[in-house]
Amino acid sequence: MAEKGKMNIDHLGGVVRLREEHQKVVKDCESRIQHWKKVSGDYEALNERLQTLPDQLCYDIMVPFGPLAFMPGKLVHTNEVTALLGDNWFAKCSAKQAQKLVNHRMKYVKSELDDLNKTMKNFEDRVGFVKNLETMSTTKGDYVDIREEAENNDTVVAKGKPRIAHKPNSKPKLDAVLDLKEEDEEDEGKGRDGGSTKGVVTEEELWARLDELEKLEELQDEQYRLSDNADMNGEDTSSFSSEEEKEGDAAPPVNGLSLKPSWTSLPHSKAPPSVDRNEEEYDEEEEGSCLPTIFFSHTVEPKKVRINTGKNTTLKFSERKEQKEHSKRKKKNGHNNGHSHHELHKITTPADIYRLFVDVKNGEPIPRKSILKSRSRENSVCSDTSESSAADFEERRMMGRSFSHDEATHSDTSDGITEEDSPTAVPLHPASRFEAFSGTVVEKDPMPSAVPHLTIAPPALPTILERKQEEVAPDAPPPQQAPKRVSKFKAARLQQK
Amino acid sequence: MADAIQKKLKAEVEKYTQMQKDVSKSVSARQKLETQLTENNIVKEELDLLDGTNTVYKLIGPVLVKQDLDEAKATVTKRLEYINGEIQRYEALLKEMEKKSEQHREVLSSLQQEFQKAQGLAVGKV
Repeated sequence: MAEKGKMNIDHLGGVVRLREEHQKVVKDCESRIQHWKKVSGDYEALNERLQTLPDQLCYDIMVPFGPLAFMPGKLVHTNEVTALLGDNWFAKCSAKQAQKLVNHRMKYVKSELDDLNKTMKNFEDRVGFVKNLETMSTTKGDYVDIREEAENNDTVVAKGKPRIAHKPNSKPKLDAVLDLKEEDEEDEGKGRDGGSTKGVVTEEELWARLDELEKLEELQDEQYRLSDNADMNGEDTSSFSSEEEKEGDAAPPVNGLSLKPSWTSLPHSKAPPSVDRNEEEYDEEEEGSCLPTIFFSHTVEPKKVRINTGKNTTLKFSERKEQKEHSKRKKKNGHNNGHSHHELHKITTPADIYRLFVDVKNGEPIPRKSILKSRSRENSVCSDTSESSAADFEERRMMGRSFSHDEATHSDTSDGITEEDSPTAVPLHPASRFEAFSGTVVEKDPMPSAVPHLTIAPPALPTILERKQEEVAPDAPPPQQAPKRVSKFKAARLQQK
Repeated sequence: MADAIQKKLKAEVEKYTQMQKDVSKSVSARQKLETQLTENNIVKEELDLLDGTNTVYKLIGPVLVKQDLDEAKATVTKRLEYINGEIQRYEALLKEMEKKSEQHREVLSSLQQEFQKAQGLAVGKV
């Protein structure tokens, strides 16, 4: 407010001065107009005199003699007039010709007068506007100047996932991953996960980064374990959501490891960025390979949050994460864990999204309008379906991420389509409930794996976070030991090696 | 050091004021030319209104000298051209002067900054 006040004052000063300048111009115009009016009057009189002069051959007049005296005399040659043409030129002419001259001059004077009048009116109007502006800025009258601070667009609340144009041979996924990593770095200081930003790094660097972040995550996990034990689940999630929203708005979407405060980034408002930013409990180094997908295993919130990925479509976080995970896993593990369809789910271009998120209707894939909206509640990993009950949630979790891929964006009307896809994934999920790390981030999960699933918050939280407990759900992870929590990246890498 | 800078500053300021005066002189001269231009235009037009029967006089000092109408017209036209040329010349001159004064202004401001720094730090700065 102070700033605004100050701005107003500055603004006001400028406005006042502007108004004063305008008024000066107006006054100047007025004086000139006066002058020209006088001239015009003189010419009028002259015209009349010229008109009447030739009426008589001679007139008896009192001739001025010097400044103080007059003398009686006669005015002769009434028709002969010597006219000053200007610039020391004279012309002898008859009265009528003189009249012509006078008329000609009158035209000129009139044009000048018109110009001046126009200018004056113009400036008078300007003065009026400036006055209005003044009152606006000072008194906040009926009209208020709408001002918005130009925010730093880094923390943009874009509707869609911020897109980076792909160079011909570049790997977009890398970029996304890198972004996350970079953000992680930034956020580390705040204990937040890095979100998505740009950054192109080589893969090696990515791995290194991932390692770093992994360690950090482990540390943080410890903290969480200690602190999180009791609360979390229901209330927390709700509180988080609100926090998230606030924070999300304020801070860059990166949210980090700390569940509670950091969640923010995601709130729907920040959906798109959130998509990129993975809010992961674990190391967030974004999956190097593909789209940054953040899988949350939110203890409480069964619903998946809708993420705005642009154009009114919100991709659920879980979906993204799953996708990422899948692709990443594919890349690293070299095996699909039975998720053969992951290959298909590899998303490299926006078009892939639409390819992947399709509703299978009557056996035919129909592209969804919105990947956030899932036809079927149960299957929808992404859409924030408040209606879904806990039971559904369980079910969904079972379905696992694989669903998210398949979910096309549709209106929220339930579609059974996603379910169709899910069956493939189903078998995997239940089995791997407790794998070490399924590639999904389990938010503040003090108790590995099991906890999130157990606590399912009532669907009441519409927007919030992306935490999807389902995400947490098990992908058949590479066989890292359950007790040891290893980031999926590391796991993948280890596997590769 | 501060003193030296101060002297420099003063010199620059004087130069700058001098430049400004020149600029204003040029500007006023140009304005005079403008009025003459309009006047001569009117004279030309009025001469066109007249025909050969009227005699035209030119005021040279206290004397009215008879002139031929055609001659008068020619003279006025030539004068007009001359005035136009003068105006253009003055405009070019004015532009140059503006540029120079801008440069001077910059020099002045930088000197001022230096001076302030020198004063602030109380350290000799070159």
